[in-house]
Amino acid sequence: MPVDHKVCSLLPFLSSPKLLPNESEAEFQSGLQSLLSELENPSPLAVALVSQLNECLWWIRRHTVDKELLLHEAMARLLSREGSNWKGSGNSALSVALEHYLNGSAQKDQAALIEEALIDANLTLPDLRARAFKDAARHIKMVDDLIHRQHQTIRHLQRSIDSIDYKSRLIKRMDLELAALESKQSVKGVLSLDDKSS
Amino acid sequence: MTINPLRSLANRSNALKSTGPKSVAGKRASSQNSRKHGLNSAPTFELSNEYQELIDLIAEEGFSAFACADIAAGLLNYRRVMDAYYDTYTSPESVDEFLRDMNVKASNPIFSELLSPSGSEPQDVREMAAFFADMQRQERRKGGSVSRRSSDTHKLIRYQRHGIARLSRAVRQG
Repeated sequence: MPVDHKVCSLLPFLSSPKLLPNESEAEFQSGLQSLLSELENPSPLAVALVSQLNECLWWIRRHTVDKELLLHEAMARLLSREGSNWKGSGNSALSVALEHYLNGSAQKDQAALIEEALIDANLTLPDLRARAFKDAARHIKMVDDLIHRQHQTIRHLQRSIDSIDYKSRLIKRMDLELAALESKQSVKGVLSLDDKSS
Repeated sequence: MTINPLRSLANRSNALKSTGPKSVAGKRASSQNSRKHGLNSAPTFELSNEYQELIDLIAEEGFSAFACADIAAGLLNYRRVMDAYYDTYTSPESVDEFLRDMNVKASNPIFSELLSPSGSEPQDVREMAAFFADMQRQERRKGGSVSRRSSDTHKLIRYQRHGIARLSRAVRQG
């Protein structure tokens, strides 16, 4: 169900989540729309909270990518430390070459550089990865904490959305009960008038 | 722009002689040096027009005036935290590649050349080399740009925790 303009009325007052240059706005928006479509009674406040929830999911994605990047960073650091002949090529050049090598998009010279560095350091790629994991453990733990925090934030937001939903249901139910009481009262009134007239 | 390694070292050694700002303006500016994200300062959005408009919009959902003010403040405060989170994530402290990759032992002749005007002694050169070695250790410990942004963002976890707890409490109690 598309969300109309009125229920998005709070959004302009909250700074919209910013995307990184390599991220797709369309993907972000489609995630938001799919979350909004699951709202049974979309109210402006619920929509504002769902938009924050979507941002949390986006942050989890970013931090998950970061975990892999941390490993790559540590692998490049280890390679440049272990290989005696690689100081000249610079840590950054090695990082870039390794990144392309692991993505499978390395050029011939980059692949040769990494393979030579691995031989020089007397390591295989899985060995290097295992050692890098140990080396980067402190920072990987930090990223895990960041992901955990986003999960907890999502839980808070979910509870808030549920409470808004419950409140609106409660109000609707009370309205219905009131209407039922009023109609009962009016029927009683009509009956008593009939009794008097007869 | 390429940085001459000798010039960079000279700048660093001259900076060591500095005893800080002298003028009032300089002191005021340097007092903000350690300001990272501004989340410890009191928020000012409660005086803004958008805060009032947000309260009016939330009031349409049947919340009490007190709850509306609380929810609006919670929402704006949470956005403030998340904006700071994004800014910290996207602008980590830059990696000083020169310091990280320099060979401190091999730089001893440069140190003695830099210190020569004041009549360098082996002790001075050793102290300077030890100083740079310590700085290099610290620089390497911080890791690359991804490690830096992770540890910088990690410092904001408690602000996020407080921000979302405040917002969630305001909505549920409203």
